[in-house]
Amino acid sequence: MVKRSKKAKTMRKVIKAIWIFNWFNSCGFAELIPLVGSRWDMERFGMIIVGTPRQADVLFIAGYQTLKSIKRAKKVYEQMAEPKVVIALGSCTMTGGMYWDSYNTIKRLDDYLPVTIYIPGCPPRPEAVFEACDKIFKHVKELE
Amino acid sequence: MIDQMEPAPKDTEYDLYFGPAHPGSGNFGVKLKIDGEIVTSARADPGYLHRGFEKLMEYRTPIQNAVLSDRICVLEPLNWNLVHAEAVDELMGIDVPERAKYIRVIMAELSRIQSHIIWYGVFSIGTGFDTGFKMAFGYRDYILDLFEMITGGRVYPAGYICPGGVRRDFPNGAADKILKVLDKMGEMIKLEELENPALDARARGVGTLKVKDAIRLGATGPVLRGSGMKTDVRKEEPYEVYDRLDFEVPVRSEMDAYARYMIGIEEMKQSIKIVKQALEELPEGEVIAPKFKRPRVKVKIPEGEVYVRNEAARGEAAIYMVSDGESKPYRCKIRGPDFLHMIPVLEYLLKGAQIADVPAIYWSLNICPADMDR
Amino acid sequence: MNPKEEREAQILEEIGSKFDVEGKIQRERRIWISLDNKDLIELCGWLKNQGFEHLSAISVTDWVKEGKFEVTYHLWSYKDKILLTLKTKIDRKKPVIESVTSIWKENAQIHERELHELFGVKFKGNSDLSPLFLEDWHAPPPFRKDFDWRKYVREEHYDKENAREVVYYD
Repeated sequence: MVKRSKKAKTMRKVIKAIWIFNWFNSCGFAELIPLVGSRWDMERFGMIIVGTPRQADVLFIAGYQTLKSIKRAKKVYEQMAEPKVVIALGSCTMTGGMYWDSYNTIKRLDDYLPVTIYIPGCPPRPEAVFEACDKIFKHVKELE
Repeated sequence: MIDQMEPAPKDTEYDLYFGPAHPGSGNFGVKLKIDGEIVTSARADPGYLHRGFEKLMEYRTPIQNAVLSDRICVLEPLNWNLVHAEAVDELMGIDVPERAKYIRVIMAELSRIQSHIIWYGVFSIGTGFDTGFKMAFGYRDYILDLFEMITGGRVYPAGYICPGGVRRDFPNGAADKILKVLDKMGEMIKLEELENPALDARARGVGTLKVKDAIRLGATGPVLRGSGMKTDVRKEEPYEVYDRLDFEVPVRSEMDAYARYMIGIEEMKQSIKIVKQALEELPEGEVIAPKFKRPRVKVKIPEGEVYVRNEAARGEAAIYMVSDGESKPYRCKIRGPDFLHMIPVLEYLLKGAQIADVPAIYWSLNICPADMDR
Repeated sequence: MNPKEEREAQILEEIGSKFDVEGKIQRERRIWISLDNKDLIELCGWLKNQGFEHLSAISVTDWVKEGKFEVTYHLWSYKDKILLTLKTKIDRKKPVIESVTSIWKENAQIHERELHELFGVKFKGNSDLSPLFLEDWHAPPPFRKDFDWRKYVREEHYDKENAREVVYYD
């Protein structure tokens, strides 16, 4: 019998489907909404959008965040129940992206929220988002 | 019996924050003061997406700005690309070749159709019609595939419409593919036009805006046309080749949310007509002016100032550009249609409305928070 | 003179006869006028009666070397289909100017509120100049030319010690 840590046991039991809280920034909106639509249907993978942070597993930070909106994102993150995951979409979350010299955007999302996986691109393709979610399922299965 | 009951208690006033985590609006908040069921006042809370575009453009040359200009409003990138390219062309006195002008018009109109599809989808989900949302975003992907074939990017075309013309020519078979996609769009419009009784009940008589108020509050585009005034920048001061193309400007006299929504559907039909005409008349030739043919990043802009107005999907989009002879613009002021629609017009329309009507009014204005904050 | 520019020439002449201005016709449908602050409100009131009902934008340009701010008003007439731009200069150290909200009401009010926050220009007579986009901003107005964004961002947000971010310091 393999001994698993308590956290691994909780995550394995709970994460079979990902429920996403709808915090869609502008750049992410134009590329995440097609995921909900009928062509890249994400409901077949078990992902749906919920309206309250208490029911969500994943917070998608899709694009640049300004100083004003990162405070609200932090409040939403604190309200989510364990186990929770943050997925950072786009190059603006990694190094500042196209707005690297803007006085009002944040440059490294890592300073504010603990990020689990980054998806590069400006904006990334829908297939990339599905691959990232797939990696999260595999990561959870291999947790010790 | 009910008349003899005691009236409702008096202390029913409260504040409601229609907050930033919102499907279909993406980070924009409105503070409402409500008394019972009626909204007594509304105050907009912008600034969640403010990046300071106007000053970012002062640090970059025009070719670099062409890539940045797609991100002014995320939902209609090619239209803003066009405004910026026209401003630089006029400042530098460049003659854009004929073929490039027709291609620019085709891409701008496809972008307008795509933006109106988003409007339709978001309006449906806001008023509870889920099927409309899924169908709209399913059909929108046909146009995004076209964009990927022609420009290389699904959402952001990487500065395809640049100063001097367009970056590259249509690939082989593009014209046939565009015509097939337009047939699909025609199919979708037939489905959208079926009078949905629930939408009818929610949108009629709601959010009425008279013409005098609309002009005083600064409304332009479909919002002003929904109030009965026949105006369109493409007809009043034609740019590119719009003076040679034959299309109509839909106007309705009901002045409410339903009128604005129906204008969106009519405009899609007119855009399809424009693209078909432009494809027929497309001449042969170069697609970029000789000055920009070889990739050169630093080109000096002569001194001067210019104000360019265009008709974006949401209203009047304009850029005021000042140059002092260097290779970067000195000042670039961006006037977006949503800056006026989301603050003065929204605050005026929400006052006195029922709280259950707030989504229908809000989404009938076709807002884009990125355009407001810049 | 270009036959298409008749109405523009007519308007320019009428303005020239009543006020002390410097004007030119750039091309058809574009008139540019420079004038002094004291005539601004009167000229705006006269223009609104002539059909220039739509205020398209108000903008401020920061001429650092001269030490002046230039405020521009872009007006569009639905009747004649002409765009008229008014330009006027104010002092950069004490930027104060009369507000045009008495003429164009809410449309002008929101433009002036944005310019107050981003450039620091005070509009006398505007009822609400509270901050619009920024929360808790305690530095100088961000869009002025003497506030260098790249220097500010390198101090506040980036780290020269970090190997991946050294490129931003070129």
